[in-house]
Amino acid sequence: MSDPASGAEELVLPSEFEALEQVDEIALKCSRRAGFDDHLSNEVAIAVIEAVTNAVLHGNGQDRGKQVRVVCEWDPDGITVTVHDEGPGFDLTCVHDPTDPKHCMECSGRGIYIMRETMDEVSFTMSKGTGTTVVMRKCRTGSAGCEDEG
Amino acid sequence: MKVKTQMEGDVAIIHVSGKLMGGPESENLRNEIKRLLDDDNKKFVINLKGVPWINSTGLGALMAVYTSVQRSEGTLKLCHVSDRIQSLFMITKLLTIFDTYPTEKEAIASF
Repeated sequence: MSDPASGAEELVLPSEFEALEQVDEIALKCSRRAGFDDHLSNEVAIAVIEAVTNAVLHGNGQDRGKQVRVVCEWDPDGITVTVHDEGPGFDLTCVHDPTDPKHCMECSGRGIYIMRETMDEVSFTMSKGTGTTVVMRKCRTGSAGCEDEG
Repeated sequence: MKVKTQMEGDVAIIHVSGKLMGGPESENLRNEIKRLLDDDNKKFVINLKGVPWINSTGLGALMAVYTSVQRSEGTLKLCHVSDRIQSLFMITKLLTIFDTYPTEKEAIASF
């Protein structure tokens, strides 16, 4: 029996790095259901791992009492992944290009860059009251699901 | 994450297994490299055969040990890098920084 053309899976996780294994599994599974090959499914999983790493480390400060919510929604055009944490967010203008020679030897600061390189669309919504939400979308080649970035 | 070292002549082979993805476990690798540098070792191979994937925090741990080895005028090479880790190196343009080899034997022979 083939997988349904559209669907969603949700995970609610404690703020700990051990949870990343579960995140990897669900990201790969949902990407394959969206019709991505192994290479593109790995790219989605890499991006989701980074979003959850940021949520655990920077958003929730590894406070195990705080949760990270991951929703993977697939459809015939691609996959949308939403990652929500309970943190206050961060200043996006302070995020530098880690491939710049000034920063390339640094030990941190690559997460958002990796998310943007592996997904077609990445957006952030931050609020001190409700937390930070990252929405990432990757489209199947030739689908009309993502706008051209020009 | 487990870290185990064996010497092959003057080359320290560090076998890493498990998930290199941040947290206190990443300290095991940094501490082991520090111990080996303190013992005056200069040639290192990190064998990543037991590491299917890493995140940017794990990448940061690799960058940290690379920098430590460089500062001590040593040389660090990697072997058995999975396709997924190789992709991460490519995305972050670190392929030019890390010297990678398919096998441990080839990494050792490259010194």
